[in-house]
Formats: sequence, C-alpha cells, structure tokens
Amino acid sequence: MSILDQRKLIESIHPFELLSSSAMDGLMKKIDIAYYPNQTLLVSPAISSIAFYIIIKGSVTEYIDDEIHNVYGAGDSFDADALIYGNTKAKFIVDEDLICYEIKKEDFLDLMQDKEIQGYFLQDFITRHKQLKDYDTQSELSPFLISKVSDIFLHTACIVEEDETIHSALLKQEKLKSKVILVKEKNGYSIVTDTDLRKKLLLGDNDLSKNISSIASKKIISIDINDFLFNALLMMTHNAIKRVVVVDGDKIVGVLEQLDLLSYFASHSHLVAVQIDKAQNIDDLKALGHDFKSLIVTLRAKGVKVRYITKLIATLNDKIYNKLFEMCVEPSLRDQCALIVMGSEGREEQTLKSDQDNALIIKNGVDIELFREPMMRLNGYLLELGFPKCSGNVMVSNEFWRKNSSAYKDLITTWTYDMSEESVKNMSIFLDAKCIAGDCSLLDELKEYLHNSFHSRDDVLAHIAKAVLSFETPLSLFSGFVLQKERKDKLDLKKGGIFALVHGIRTLSLQYEIKETNTVERIKELNNHGVIDKTFATELIESFDTLSSIRLKAMLEAKNIDEANYINPLSLEKNQRDLLKDSFKIINKFKKFMNFHFHLNMVV
Amino acid sequence: MFSFIANFKKNANRKKLKDSAFEFLFEDDKSGEYVVFDTETTGLNPKVDEILSIGAVKIKDNKVLTSQTFEVFLQNEKEISSTSIKIHGIRPFDLKDAKTTKEGIVEFLNFIGSRPLIGYYLEFDVSMINRYTKPLLGITLPNKMIEVSEIYFDKTISLIPQGNIDLRFDTILRNCSIPNMGVHNAVNDAIMTAMIYLKLTKEKQ
Repeated sequence: MSILDQRKLIESIHPFELLSSSAMDGLMKKIDIAYYPNQTLLVSPAISSIAFYIIIKGSVTEYIDDEIHNVYGAGDSFDADALIYGNTKAKFIVDEDLICYEIKKEDFLDLMQDKEIQGYFLQDFITRHKQLKDYDTQSELSPFLISKVSDIFLHTACIVEEDETIHSALLKQEKLKSKVILVKEKNGYSIVTDTDLRKKLLLGDNDLSKNISSIASKKIISIDINDFLFNALLMMTHNAIKRVVVVDGDKIVGVLEQLDLLSYFASHSHLVAVQIDKAQNIDDLKALGHDFKSLIVTLRAKGVKVRYITKLIATLNDKIYNKLFEMCVEPSLRDQCALIVMGSEGREEQTLKSDQDNALIIKNGVDIELFREPMMRLNGYLLELGFPKCSGNVMVSNEFWRKNSSAYKDLITTWTYDMSEESVKNMSIFLDAKCIAGDCSLLDELKEYLHNSFHSRDDVLAHIAKAVLSFETPLSLFSGFVLQKERKDKLDLKKGGIFALVHGIRTLSLQYEIKETNTVERIKELNNHGVIDKTFATELIESFDTLSSIRLKAMLEAKNIDEANYINPLSLEKNQRDLLKDSFKIINKFKKFMNFHFHLNMVV
Repeated sequence: MFSFIANFKKNANRKKLKDSAFEFLFEDDKSGEYVVFDTETTGLNPKVDEILSIGAVKIKDNKVLTSQTFEVFLQNEKEISSTSIKIHGIRPFDLKDAKTTKEGIVEFLNFIGSRPLIGYYLEFDVSMINRYTKPLLGITLPNKMIEVSEIYFDKTISLIPQGNIDLRFDTILRNCSIPNMGVHNAVNDAIMTAMIYLKLTKEKQ
C-alpha cells in the first residue's frame, strides 16, 4: 500500500508519468529516501553526482560561479545533466533540511533507455519549455484557437484575367459560387466585391462588355496559409472586411470567409468590434465594457497565447480610441494632428485596461488651443469608460503631452543630454508610441528624428539600459524557506521579470532603429539585425509569453489593482512554476547580455 | 555493569532457543543497518490482541532504504474490532490472502536479523512480536532497541527543561517537519518513523 503512495508521488512528477507500468514497478524497487541536514554539499565539480534526487521536503540551491542559478523545492528534481555528462560546473547545497528520494546513478542511466524520458532530460531549454507548455494545455482545454489557416475550410477563389469582360467574369463567379472575383493583373491581383458591382456597375456608367479590371479595387488583403487563424480574425477586425485572400507563397489558394471563421471561434470578438463601430455615443461604448473581460477570460481558457489575446484587445481598444477621436474632434481638425498611445498600449501588450498613456501631436502652424477642449473631452470619456488615469499624468489632458511637432523635437533633443529620471521615463514611454488616429506621418517623422538623435549615442543608451539591472530577478523566492524568512509570499512579476525584458529590448530597438513597438516583434527584428541569435530570441519570446500569461492569471484573480502584478509561486501548479523559473533564468541571461552589450558595469 | 546484565539476559534468552536455525538472531550485527518497524493489531492489549500486519524498512547511514521494504499480512482468529479498522483500514476481507502467523513471523525474523530495532512506542510492537516468538521459538526478540520518542524527549527537554512534552506521533512528525504520508499503515508508519530517526540523529546542532 505504501509503495503505491510513493508511486503516486513519483508519477505526478513530469516526465515520470511517461514510464510504462512495468518500468515503474522496476523503478519503485530502486528508490530510497535520504535525509541531508542543512548546508550539506551534495554535488560540486569536485564531488561527482551519485544519484538523481527528487525532493520530498526541503530545498536545495544550485550555484554556478557563486551566483544563485536555481532553487529546487518540493516536487523538483535534479540534476540529470550532472549524471549524464559525469561532471558539472554547479554546486548543489542544501539550504533547508532535505528529505528526498534517491535514484542511484546506474539506475537513473538505465531509466534513460526509455526514449521519451531520455528526450526530456536531454532537451535544451526551448523544446523542454514547449513540451511543458503542451503538457500544461493538454490538461486544460485544447488550444483550438491556435489552429492555422490551413485547418479551416477555404472557398475556391474565382480568378479571372484582367481583359475578360465583366459578363464572362460574373458567369465564372456564379459557377464557382464565389463571393468575390480576383482579377489577375501584370503586377499582382485586384478584387471585385459586391460593393464594387453595386457602386461601379449598377450605379456607375459601366456595362457588362467592359473589362473586369475597370471596376476592380486595388486593395487586396491576404494572409499566408500557414499563419494563425487568429491573425486572420485580427486582420478582418482591423480592416473591417468580411474576407481575406489566402496565399501560399505568391499563389492564391482560396478565400477565407468571415462567417466560417466566426463559426470556428466560439467567442464573439468580432461582435464586440462591430458594436464599437456602430456605437453612436459614449453610453453605447460603456455598455460594452463587460464583454471585454469575459472575452479575455474565454480566450484564455481556450489556451490562446497571451500575445494574441493582447493583440486582439489592442485592436479593440484602437477602435474605441478611434471612435472617441471622431466623437471629440471636428472633421476639419482630424488630419491636423495625430493621436498616439504609448506604454503598454503602444506595444499592444495591455490586457485588462491599463493606465492610459496617450498624447497628441499637432501639425506645426496649427493653433494648439483649438485642441484643448476636444482633448479634455476625450480624456473624460476614457475615464468614463474605465481606462484608469495615468499616475504620471501622461495624457492628452496634460499640456505637456499636447504640443506641436517642433515642440516635441525640442523635447527629444533634451532627452539626448538630460539624464534625469523624468526624462528617461518619458522617453521610454514615447519609444513605445503607436499612432491611432489622425495624420500618422506626424509620429513617423518624430520617430525618425528620435532615432537620428540617438545615432551612435551609446553613452546615453547605456545610461537608459541601466534600469534593466535595477531589480533583482526573484529566483531565490522559489523556495518556501526564503519566502518565510522574508515574510513575503509573493513575487513581483513586473519588476522581477517583465520590466527588465521589455525595457532592455526597447533600448536595443532604439539603438538599432527598429520601428516595431511590440516586444515580440522587436525581438524578432533584433534577431534579423543579428544582435541576438535565433535560439536566444526564441528563448526570450517564450519567456515573455510565460511571464505575461502568468501575469494575466494574476490580474484576473487580483482583487484590486495593487495585487495585479504579484504572484505566489507556491500557488502555481508545478509545471507553471517550472516554466516561471525557467523564464527567470532566461531573464538573468538577458541581463548578463545587456550588461556586456552596453558595458553596464562601467556606467556609474 | 549494565552491559553485563544485558549480556546475562541475552544469554539466558539464547539458551531457551528451541530452533538452532534462528541462532543468527543472537550473532553480532555486521551490516551497519537498522530496522524500523511497526505493527497493526486488533487492539492495544498484547496479552489478547493479535497482529494484522507488520511493516518494516531498513536504515543505513542517512538513507531510508525504501527499496527494501518489508510488509506482511497475518491471518488471525480474533475478530477485528470496528474501532481499530478505522485506524489501520485493514478489513477482514484484506486478509483473505494473508500468510499464516508462523510464515509471517519467520519472514520478519529473517528480514531483521540481528540488526538494532527502531520504533515509536517500540515496546508495544516488540511485545506483540514476542507473543508469537515465545511459543514458536522459546525466545523474545534479542535485538537492541531504540525508541524514537525517547530521543525526541531528550532533545526537546534540553530546550524547555520544565516543559510538558507532547509525544504524540503527529506532533513529533510536525515538529521534525517530516511530511505526513497520510495513510496510516505499517510500512508508511515505519518509513515516517525512520525519517524522524534520521532527522533527530543526523541533524546538525
């Protein structure tokens, strides 16, 4: 009976559940329980490892070069590498009286004959991370929203030559029962929708014998067959269109209809978007508030990656901003300015409503005062809709963030030499700016000016980058012991991890003049620029995803805004905890990288 | 002086041994191991109650050798009281395939050899075993006995000299921060007792 209890415990530890029942029987006969008092040195470069340890109680810290590398607690196991490779750079020291299962070296190596077990222990970070994540979603709901365009039904595309007559093209369309006609032209495709037919044929002065190309619209929006369905949804929501053309390389393979897509998604994100578009006044928008949160909860439960959830929310928020902009600003003034969002909203990484960080850029020569009243109103509406006030007052209601282009340029110039905390903070916010309404070229111009101003200014960049090191990565918090000692049972996800990553990547993006604002996109670009290699880039993206997803969990569960960034690692499931711990290790690696890249140890 | 008396008793006991095949119980132990054991019984009176199961595990150095656990269920004549079923969870049904008491006891003696015995309220478990060895072999268990609650008491009393020391199993377990394996059965209890022993004797001061 008791053997069975131990068996359950071992089986609950990944990857041991992969063992066959008979292999498990064999293993159970080889496991002993050992006790090691505090401060015992278990493994070190000089003391080679003799067993594989699975912790029942207590904790062990792993040091590499006298720096904490990892902390193991109940349910954790170590150290496969030391056993497989026969040596290790690390020191494993008991830091709270340890009771653990021991599998002798020979027995452990025998276990490795099992391909899946071997696979698990020999994998590098990324694959292991993915496997753990898969394991995690398996146990919840299947992530069907991660399905690709190729997984869904596509309509046959009706493709005609540009010199075909409208009549023959329509016959062809009828035959294929397509909703649209795609016209092949010398350099690409154009499209004929029902709207085109109505406006240009029925109401226009064209007749059926004319060339089809004469009534085609140039704009054709396409998506790759291997892209996620989610992106197709984003595309439709963003462009307010009902279908996208699916391509494989430069070949058109079909048309994806919104109706099919929507039936694929149980959630109603598109409905929310349509309702925003149709809203006549602020009260209509207010009524939508509740749908937002439930949308996030549904999507998350379905296993959608947080970075897609945040993108969708960003798209919807954009729509709200746009609507409000139209409500507040006279048509004649609309292209005299650019409304921008910054911070997490600019990076498209906000989940639940985050502080509003917004600003207005006004064309040179236009009277700034004309915008005072409309912007006050816009700000008021945002507050009414529940977008919290920005604590740093980075809002269009503040004169500082409502000025003309040349005044912004002056501000940017001050940033290049003024190293005050305030300036660094403002600049960081501005770096993430995204244009949402009005004349977007105003922002592009400022961004370019900003990049030029910081060209070859590595000294200032290093100063900005230094903030990455300001908070310690909370790896040590994983042992229950330390938590107790510090009388604090929660760790700060934002300070401890997300901030370092986001800020570091932002600074690198400034250095390499990368226009993207989204952290994941920036990482990809940095990889393209050769600043970081592919493996590291993927590690960073996975870590960022893990941290954001755990943070989202914390936010959804938090009772008030102060709690939203905190999580008690012990409240997480073992797999989540491992993922979190791995992510923090990557953050540490990233900090070292930043330290080296900007020579931060020389910056005072 | 005390060791003389102990030796004298041991020799007197040895003379009563009816079966020379069990001489090994009296030889000096060379394995360096200890055996922690626990019994589940029909009740708390060694004179009338019977053993339902015996669980044991060896200790060597700082390890509980769970790879070598011992567990046996014994047949018995007496009906199992319903109060005791609630504690050990052994129903008459579970003893369907149990061994005869003779087989079970012999296997147990072979498992322990002359190793020192460790237990919690060991005296009770030993007298339960003796109830069978006496008629069978003419002897009582000659092994050296180590009582964990005694070690615990000695360690704790030095910290709180006039204190009233709670010697309940669960309290000791908690104070030694040993995980409670939940189910009470002979082997689990033996393993938990073994962990208490290691904790009390190997812990750094």
